[in-house]
Amino acid sequence: MFLFRKYKTAILIAAVLMASLSFVFCGLKYGADRIFLKKVVMEIAAPVESALDYSIKSIRDAWLRYIFLVGVQEENKKLKKKIGELEATMNAYREGYLEAQRLRKILAFENESNHTFVCARVIGKELGALSRTLLINRGSSDGLKSGMPVLAPPGLIGRLTDVSWHYSKVLLLIDENSRMDAVVQRNRTQGIISGAGPEGMMLKYVPQTQDVQKGDVVVSSGIGGVFPAGLMVGMVREVERENTGLFLRINVLPFTDLSKLEEVMVLTSAAQEIH
Amino acid sequence: MTMWYYILTPLLLILLIVVQSTVSGMFFHGFVTLEISLIVVIYAGFHLDLLKGVFLSFVAGFIVDCVGGFIPGASSFVYVLIFLASFFISEFLDTGKRYVIMSFTIVCVLLKEALLLSFYSMTLKTNVFAGNYVAVFAQSLIAGCLAPAVFYVMHRLGEVVYETQP
Repeated sequence: MFLFRKYKTAILIAAVLMASLSFVFCGLKYGADRIFLKKVVMEIAAPVESALDYSIKSIRDAWLRYIFLVGVQEENKKLKKKIGELEATMNAYREGYLEAQRLRKILAFENESNHTFVCARVIGKELGALSRTLLINRGSSDGLKSGMPVLAPPGLIGRLTDVSWHYSKVLLLIDENSRMDAVVQRNRTQGIISGAGPEGMMLKYVPQTQDVQKGDVVVSSGIGGVFPAGLMVGMVREVERENTGLFLRINVLPFTDLSKLEEVMVLTSAAQEIH
Repeated sequence: MTMWYYILTPLLLILLIVVQSTVSGMFFHGFVTLEISLIVVIYAGFHLDLLKGVFLSFVAGFIVDCVGGFIPGASSFVYVLIFLASFFISEFLDTGKRYVIMSFTIVCVLLKEALLLSFYSMTLKTNVFAGNYVAVFAQSLIAGCLAPAVFYVMHRLGEVVYETQP
């Protein structure tokens, strides 16, 4: 007892160290799962570890989600930019496609007819109240001359009035100053096509006795030497029979939407053929 | 108060070691372990009496073995040895100095790893740290850096506990 009191600390330390070593030997000899205290500690530690792990996992997931959202935002910006670029590219392709369609139509028209054409791009439009003209990028250096007929498939749209070296002005058929001799294709009824501005064209000087109906196609007659015969001019939209007048009031619409013209064809061989 | 110490210490140590294990896994993916429990043992060696310190180091080592060790008792043995070393050496050191705490902690972590290595080599005949010496050094440095903070927290905790007792 005296010895214990005197060496209490040393005995205690030795006992603890021995206890540790006994755990080691017990664990090695019989397996760690045989130690009761270890089971107790594990039973206490496991729920704590589980709760902590769950909390940390939740925080980490939230953080990763936040990072992911930041990434998504960045990606969204990039994708929007990419979409803009792709839309521009697609628009260019679409424009190219539409241009190809138009040019194919022009080419087909050129192949079908026996005339010689010069293709031109519309670079300016004057569709105001006083005049309805187009400016095209071809001039006398391309063989154009004043008075040459201008077409946009499938029909006639006007004639050249002013021609410079590289540019020309086209007076459209719907301009009030425009006149040409035309016939109704179905029954060869002759009249004068005159521009009527926003209403299109009027086929004038057709007697009331003539049979002209809505939907009749009007073509150039070839009389006058400016336009060759047989070129499509427009379609009869309305026929009015006035009680007092001698002539019918015939409204003709051009085949082409003149406000949307982008390419036109100038008939360069028309004069030779007419003569 | 003493009775509460012996009741609460194991529970708080379980919490501490579980946190230590989880945080180590989260930040270092098991490459290194945050030796907070060992720093607590060193703190105990510097500031607690022998009986309480031996109890704390034994329990801490045992819980470390239970939570992440392979041989139960190995860490207890090593932790008690480190506690005793801290306890007796603290007589000769200025334990309030930060660099003393840091360097002593680094030495203790290396000592602990060396003892465990010897222990495992003797019992299992394997070198459990093969190729992981860099991790051991990193672990000791991290522990050295953490030690002053842990000491500060322990000091504050001690103040709060002693102030709140009737």
